[in-house]
Amino acid sequence: MWLGVAGFGAVIAAQAYAILTSPAERDMGHLQKIMYVHVPAAWMTFLAFFVVLVFSVRYLWRRNENDDLLAAAAAEVGATFNGLTLLLGMIWGRPAWGVWWVWDARLTSTLVLFLIFVGYLALRALVDDADQRARWSAAVGAIGAINVPIVYMSVTWWRTLHQPPSSAATLDPAYTLGLRLNAIALLVLMIYFIKKRYDIARLERSVEHMAEAAAMRGT
Amino acid sequence: MIESNPAFIIAAYAVTWVVLLGYVLHLVRRNGRVSAEYESMVLKISGKKK
Repeated sequence: MWLGVAGFGAVIAAQAYAILTSPAERDMGHLQKIMYVHVPAAWMTFLAFFVVLVFSVRYLWRRNENDDLLAAAAAEVGATFNGLTLLLGMIWGRPAWGVWWVWDARLTSTLVLFLIFVGYLALRALVDDADQRARWSAAVGAIGAINVPIVYMSVTWWRTLHQPPSSAATLDPAYTLGLRLNAIALLVLMIYFIKKRYDIARLERSVEHMAEAAAMRGT
Repeated sequence: MIESNPAFIIAAYAVTWVVLLGYVLHLVRRNGRVSAEYESMVLKISGKKK
């Protein structure tokens, strides 16, 4: 609970700092302020899907149910941040490029990543057998997360309308602290989301186990 | 410099907050539903034992 409050408080403070202190950018003007939500959301997407990769591989290796539940929690949170990244990119793209959407490599690969993890969540919802669900989703999660470096490198590998990757190293110092603060705040919130979703998933599994045990006793 | 239409900046931050708060609401609802299922299952099992 305190982690969630801290996360939301940090996001409010970081956004207020960034909006109030950053000057208008030379090319983008004040539209640059969208960067403080768009770029950290994209970073959290990558990070969440990296967690999916690690715990999916760990599940396939050790067959520990908790690894599967943690991967699933991170996948749901990652898909949420992925969807947010796409929406914010469209809102930024309209005034910057004159279009809401363009099929360039960065946007298309980010959409493909989103669809893979929507498929991952649909798979989990459709398969009833817990072992089968865990095995199949670990395979999809691990393979799906391989798309993350493709999304990241897409602006380098192909000619795209999207600008090169934003990072503290490539930014004007006037915007660096605001970006870092927003990334840290969103990271705290993401950790809270994954932890909370994992706790719920464990409770769901406990209910499933009890229902199975009750059914066995009933027969 | 691109003309800074504040509507797009407001929309971006509004969408961010709708998604973040919407996800928290989703977690709260799901937690409430699962907790209720868990409690009813515990009651059912303890009732059967008696």
